[in-house]
Amino acid sequence: MGKILRLVLDVLKPHDPSIIALASELSDINGVDNVNISIYEMDRRVENAKITVEGNNVDYDQVLQVISDNGGTVHSIDEVVAGCEIIDDPETLQHRGN
Amino acid sequence: MTHLRRELRRLKQYHEMADTGEIVRRYFAMNSFDGILTILGVLVGSYLAEVRDPRVVITTGMTTSVSMAVSGLWGAYLTESAERQRSMDELENHTLSDLSDTHLARASRVAVVTVAVVDGMAPLLASLLVLLPFFFSSHFQDARNPYYIALAIAMLALFALGAFLGRISKQNLVVAGMRMIVAGVISLILGYLLEGAIHR
Repeated sequence: MGKILRLVLDVLKPHDPSIIALASELSDINGVDNVNISIYEMDRRVENAKITVEGNNVDYDQVLQVISDNGGTVHSIDEVVAGCEIIDDPETLQHRGN
Repeated sequence: MTHLRRELRRLKQYHEMADTGEIVRRYFAMNSFDGILTILGVLVGSYLAEVRDPRVVITTGMTTSVSMAVSGLWGAYLTESAERQRSMDELENHTLSDLSDTHLARASRVAVVTVAVVDGMAPLLASLLVLLPFFFSSHFQDARNPYYIALAIAMLALFALGAFLGRISKQNLVVAGMRMIVAGVISLILGYLLEGAIHR
């Protein structure tokens, strides 16, 4: 089966544990090389995070487990890259601004 | 990282997550205070009732201490459990997910146990400290001397407790210590007045 190289997830999580702890724990997973977490929305109790996970062989189930253990829920899987190397989605005519 | 070091780091994380520090300090101070004043009450009563056998004082004192420990431990466990469950339920309303198997839930459970243990041990240790002279009563000629020493220990302990609170709230340590001693003195005076009223 193909290897997943990058995952971009939309996650809702409580403030504690912090994204520092979460990022640290995610990067400890075998097959995960780099993690980026940024908060794009926040209220008194929860925050919305964009979690980008990159590696040579990312295991989604493990990523999900770590996020769950830290109280988070994946609201959507926004982007995935699989195969040999990371490619970005090319700009198409429909998406080019006027 | 060794397994032990990882566990300690995890515990420290839980402690931060659950905000245990503040509650533990609060319960420790309150319950030590309770412990000291309660045992002071027992001693004043024994003294005024002219109990001079140290074994009687030790028995009364120890049973009181143990009761305070059980009350503290059990009470804190149930109260803290209930509060944290309420907190967790409220958070679950926001995340719309089951949080029972998360680090946060585990941190809460650890916090509950920590708080309960502190709540139980604080009055026990404080009162045992005050009762210490009676365990060495064979060294005293006058049967009333252990009482005086215990009183001195109680006042010192109250001062230390006050100073501890003063340090936390960044107030003058001596003033804070003296404030606690006032409580001990009031307790003594009331004890004497009560004895006077009963024997009328």
